[in-house]
Amino acid sequence: MNEKTNMTLPNPFWLLWRQFRSEWRLYSRDRAAMFWSFLFPLLMLFGFGVIFRAGGPPALSLVRVAPTEETPRDRAFLKALKEAHLEVLTLSAAEAEERWAKGETTAQLESAGGGYRLRLNSYLIAQGQVAAQAASQAFLVAQARLIGSPEPERIPVVLESPGHAHSENYAAFLVPGLIGLNLLSMGLFAVGMVTVAYREKGKFRRLAVTPLPKWVFLLGQILQRVTVVVLQTTVLLLAARLAFGITNQGSYVLFAILVVFGTATFLAFGFALSSFASTVETYGAISNLAFFPMMLLSGVYFRLDHAPVWMQKAVFVLPLSPFLRMLRAVFNDGSTLAGEGMGLAILGGWTVLSFVVALKRFRWV
Amino acid sequence: MSFPIVVRGLRKQFPKVLAVSKIDFSVSRGEVFGLLGPNGAGKTTTLEMIEGLTEPDAGEIEICGLTWSRNAQEIRARIGVQLQATSLYNKITPREALDLFGGYYPKSRGTKELLDLVQLGEKADAHHVTLSGGQAQRLALALALVNDPDVVFLDEPTAGLDPQGRRSLWEVVRKMKAEGRTTVLTTHYMDEAEALCDRLVILDHGAILRSGTPAELIAGLGIPSVIELAFDGTAPDPAAFAARLCAGVEARGDVWEIPTPDPKTLLPRLLLALESASVTYNQIHVRPATLEDVFLQLTGRSLRE
Repeated sequence: MNEKTNMTLPNPFWLLWRQFRSEWRLYSRDRAAMFWSFLFPLLMLFGFGVIFRAGGPPALSLVRVAPTEETPRDRAFLKALKEAHLEVLTLSAAEAEERWAKGETTAQLESAGGGYRLRLNSYLIAQGQVAAQAASQAFLVAQARLIGSPEPERIPVVLESPGHAHSENYAAFLVPGLIGLNLLSMGLFAVGMVTVAYREKGKFRRLAVTPLPKWVFLLGQILQRVTVVVLQTTVLLLAARLAFGITNQGSYVLFAILVVFGTATFLAFGFALSSFASTVETYGAISNLAFFPMMLLSGVYFRLDHAPVWMQKAVFVLPLSPFLRMLRAVFNDGSTLAGEGMGLAILGGWTVLSFVVALKRFRWV
Repeated sequence: MSFPIVVRGLRKQFPKVLAVSKIDFSVSRGEVFGLLGPNGAGKTTTLEMIEGLTEPDAGEIEICGLTWSRNAQEIRARIGVQLQATSLYNKITPREALDLFGGYYPKSRGTKELLDLVQLGEKADAHHVTLSGGQAQRLALALALVNDPDVVFLDEPTAGLDPQGRRSLWEVVRKMKAEGRTTVLTTHYMDEAEALCDRLVILDHGAILRSGTPAELIAGLGIPSVIELAFDGTAPDPAAFAARLCAGVEARGDVWEIPTPDPKTLLPRLLLALESASVTYNQIHVRPATLEDVFLQLTGRSLRE
């Protein structure tokens, strides 16, 4: 007896769209997931961004004591000082003295007996000397202009922070870190934890007795997580731009490639890790073992510049470290990935390893 | 007569236990067929092999003339399954779950119709976590019916439900039968098997002990009645009474069960014996034999032990 009837199964792409839509609908009802995915990164950005707003690079600043009577020479000097990219703060003698007493002034320009005098703060001698040199050059320029002789050529001074350690505002440092953290928690929790929970509770078994192809279910889930990442990243970039004026210094194409690369790595990492636990409790322990070292040591919130070199090297082996270093190279320094061969190799290694482990060990039940 | 389900020589060895040693049965169209047995008898393993969740080590399974090796997707499209524990997303509503699962199949029954069938209309838009145990089980049952299946498998459909929840679930199973669906269910409740099943097999240690209709199985005992005697506190030694009455006495705590083909003669003799031994007792009554007694006789154990 064969009762075969002509039954065509639904189009898998239509099913994929339905799974994707359903995943999003349920995800949006999960308040905890919404908080950790969208609100938490913004809170971090605003919180730390505001607290450490002034924590940028030391500016070349000069306090100028306002002369009692401003001469043309004073005006010419001030103009030349400003052209030298010095941050000039003109204060009354009393105000200047007060500021000096507090130790906030690096270099102070005062009128002295028909001429000028520079007072340098011995505690901030490095910045003070640079400011003094710039001031001296400006003085020469001003003098030359006043007597109408040819203008002396300046040596331009550019202030930069190598290794993007203290680039601009702390918020600018934080943005790539938070994007990386989002990817890590997406992989470990939204993918890995969910997989273990579904397996443990038998949700996969319930699906296995339906004709829904497994790849449709998995891909629907993955696509939903990917769109979460895209949204998270967009929201962070917009918030950083609107609130702190932080923009991507490098190529958006490279930035996007890196985010896609990272997404693939951490997705696979989550699936791979989920295959080592059969209960949510075990997985919680395993995933925290991966999460906390990376969150704290891979450079999400701070760099390990002052840690021992062996530790810096050890931590660089974790997937998040090279990812963040490359993302910051593009986002903060506007550089390319040239010279990041080691970082690319480590991240690529993790991606391949995770994919292989996930494919070999992934279990539905 | 056609057999939508045919199972031959099914066997499954797990690393430490032989879950199913050799099981054969056929289920007729429109029949409610029960797998009855204690926990660990192999009911779920048997069912999961038929559902395609577990690969059997040996044996053949035919569902509507189809086999898992050749027609897996077609079988999945035509069967409805309620697993022992149906896990869904916490925040999905019954309406959404039925819509979602309905989309997986070539044909699906209307969501509204299914909600009415399992009496979940009022909870149609409540999140799954807020459903009671009985409501969740009824939703699981509705999900098993979403594709208008020819064959339905229910694994312990009433486990953990209160009496009212069980009754309303039984109602749905009877409606399914009225719709002409073939149903296979497992249970360790003998009253459930008696109430729902047209035919059943009694399983223990992965093998079939008996099969037949509930009435045939009970008749096969040859002892249609059981005298139950409840003592207040300590019961006397049953062996002495068994000898005196020439009847088997099953002592279970302070309750005795005495199966008998002839309660009319045995009861007066029992009362006399009790009186002459000056034994005080709490209650005495005569009841018809049940599947529980059949199981007890077959295995020497109670179903729930």
